[in-house]
Amino acid sequence: MPTILRAKCIVAGDAGVGKSSICQVFHSDSAQFPKNYTMTTSVELLVKPVNIPDSRDQVEMYMYDSAGKEIFSENVIKFWDHPSVVMIVYDVTDETSFSSCIKWLERVRAMKSQTNIPGVLIANKIDLDQRRLISPKEGKDLAMSNGLEYFECSAKEMQNVDTPFFYMAHEFHKMYQERLQVYSSLA
Amino acid sequence: MFDVALASGGAQIALSTSSDDSHPPEHMIDGTDETFWTTTGLYPQEVIVRFQALMSINSVELSSYDVQNIALETSESDSIDSFEPLAEKEVERTDHQLQTVEVSVGERRAQCLRIIINSGYDHFVAVHRLKVNGKALHG
Repeated sequence: MPTILRAKCIVAGDAGVGKSSICQVFHSDSAQFPKNYTMTTSVELLVKPVNIPDSRDQVEMYMYDSAGKEIFSENVIKFWDHPSVVMIVYDVTDETSFSSCIKWLERVRAMKSQTNIPGVLIANKIDLDQRRLISPKEGKDLAMSNGLEYFECSAKEMQNVDTPFFYMAHEFHKMYQERLQVYSSLA
Repeated sequence: MFDVALASGGAQIALSTSSDDSHPPEHMIDGTDETFWTTTGLYPQEVIVRFQALMSINSVELSSYDVQNIALETSESDSIDSFEPLAEKEVERTDHQLQTVEVSVGERRAQCLRIIINSGYDHFVAVHRLKVNGKALHG
């Protein structure tokens, strides 16, 4: 029997940056991009198993696709206890969404301040190249100074959406292996 | 008075919410600290231990790591429903040594013990040993 780990992945960022699209594209194996915009007003939960290469293990990603409108945030945060990993998303054509990333990250990290929470910073909508305002360098710098891994993607083009989830699943699996070493050394 | 939660004494794991085959919940009741059960992500987590018979239990002891809040419940029947709260406890964090959780319960009739880990100091917790002091009730 393979070991199945479970990771709670908080997906946060301003409204309209594409969090739900990213989650749905990943969840459907790139079969489904939502053509019409529906604002998320609470938290949508999607579950997707990720196989860990070179092992028999699997990480089930419990994606907490969270409303980005500030008016819902008090309600949304109630669903965020015990986060395992975090995904912060911004829209490369929207400067406000980029500057909000820190706020979202701090809110998630405050849920479990003593624990290391691996995370990714996602620059979405890179298909809108002509309208792009946030350069890759700005994104990378922000990610690096906050201990996040930087990824660019286009949910619409279904481009590079899976990679950040694989990265988080892999990091979570790695932490589990490290904990096993600690537990074994305690007796 | 003896440890009624030993597998060698007929105790069994009736349910567990997470299981790595290399570190199954049976490792809590094998009588040694060397082996352990691990949770595999998310909270809460729980394990139900079924004793060989209806017991009168006096205390519960756990050796664990990174457990933060734990709750215990017991059931007098053999089926794993109708649990009643026994105790809830905040556990101090330890650094590279096992936590010792001790709960005295006076006298409580129990066939099953349910251990609920509501939260931990890390993404995962481990329980190395469960010890339940008690004796079998006859008749």
